[in-house]
Amino acid sequence: MWLDEEKNLFKQDLVLDPPVLNSSGILGFVPDLHGMPYLSGLGAFITNPISHRPRKPAANRACIRYAGGFLLHSGHPNPGITRSIARYQRRWAVAPMPIIIHLLAESPDTLAWMVRKIEGLENILAIELGLPPGCESAALLAFMEAAQGELPVIPCVNPEQAVTLLSTLSDLKPSAVHLVEPRGALPGPDGEIVQGRLYGPGIFPIMLGAARCLIQAGLSVIASAGIFDRWQIDTLLNTGVMAVGLGSALWQVDQETLFLHH
Amino acid sequence: MTIFFANLLEIIQQGSEIAGMIDLPAKHWPRPGQYLPCQRLHSDADILPVNLFRVLGDPDLLTVGPVPRGWQPGDQLACAPSQGHGFDLPSFARRVGLVPYQVSPMRLLALVSTALEQSAEVAMFYDFDLHDDLLDRMPSQVEVLPLAALLDNLDWPDYLAIDLEAATLDQFSDQFSPQDNQLDGEVLVQTAMPCRGLGECGVCVIKSRHSWRLACVDGPVFPIREVLHVAG
Repeated sequence: MWLDEEKNLFKQDLVLDPPVLNSSGILGFVPDLHGMPYLSGLGAFITNPISHRPRKPAANRACIRYAGGFLLHSGHPNPGITRSIARYQRRWAVAPMPIIIHLLAESPDTLAWMVRKIEGLENILAIELGLPPGCESAALLAFMEAAQGELPVIPCVNPEQAVTLLSTLSDLKPSAVHLVEPRGALPGPDGEIVQGRLYGPGIFPIMLGAARCLIQAGLSVIASAGIFDRWQIDTLLNTGVMAVGLGSALWQVDQETLFLHH
Repeated sequence: MTIFFANLLEIIQQGSEIAGMIDLPAKHWPRPGQYLPCQRLHSDADILPVNLFRVLGDPDLLTVGPVPRGWQPGDQLACAPSQGHGFDLPSFARRVGLVPYQVSPMRLLALVSTALEQSAEVAMFYDFDLHDDLLDRMPSQVEVLPLAALLDNLDWPDYLAIDLEAATLDQFSDQFSPQDNQLDGEVLVQTAMPCRGLGECGVCVIKSRHSWRLACVDGPVFPIREVLHVAG
């Protein structure tokens, strides 16, 4: 088969062994082995979202519990790419597992600039793209084009985007697609509606359904799916995902008895 | 990370909140203002840890709160080590003011025994009626006064401990003039701390005089001068 020279090739090898990761936003910017002994069970570490410029926390930041989970809205505060690299590159380089840098895709130009800054760093396995809410096919194409370089690029999609962007993703065939937690809205303490990402075991059925949809389209899928028990990991792996992402289960006090050793 | 297992022995009403007695060895007790992340074992309902604080109670048994309403005596708990910065009552303090601002006084009353041990006078400035179950447990040496009494005598306390929700920080600050810089003490800022420092998730950030600070790591107790009269 001849390669189409007009078409960019996004597929690059991505090995995740063991096939378990953290979700972005769950374990900070660098792996802390002292505070997180379970890190040895991760095939790679995904950083918190990093933007082009430093970002302040959202004014209406909140954690709102509901039956089956909770909504989290923080605005992704972070020091920006330049300070992040200055602060964390040494610890990324010596981490016992490869690092996946999660970049917030704000514009193709800034994304391309951030990717170039990361490419020379040691122990970086891949770049993950946090797409803006409402990202459409044209924007996804532009972001993937901008991020293309030496490292595999993993776009993150929520279950809604998994449907709307499916045909574009099928054409692009990235190294992997990270299916991430859905967004939702709940009233905050003052009654104002807060939008944010949903975590907890209540989202698992939606995530499993979306993962199947992506897999059937021939995509390699990492699924962060509200996992709180071993059977959920087994189900996802048996369904054909290449790896699972652990979310707020990693914030539990006792991962040993509540989760990991089952 | 070390994990301790404990049992919830008893639950007690303290005003509008519920406190619980836990059989955790004394060396693992949180200091007043620090938090103890706990989770019930074998419970599908507890998706996030609950951060418990020392409250007024028996000196020989750890009493913490607020305990979630679904918890029952006999529940087994997994506890992480105590986290965060607690209150640091200076040994020289002889006039200690407590200000539970629109919150239950239960957390601040955990400071009373230490204050009385160093022969300090203790006044609690509180604008609401105290429930009988709190009054019954509170040492009689603690004087209860309205907040206005503090505002009229700002030079009385040589240490002030404040407890408030993050959302009321600005409202509380507005009661004092920025020139009231004789205020010395600390503020326990209540806010959700879901990741308890593991994820730097950013939900609990508090604007301080010099930077944004994570309540879960840098607090939840902050020096008064760091967080009062800081817009944001």
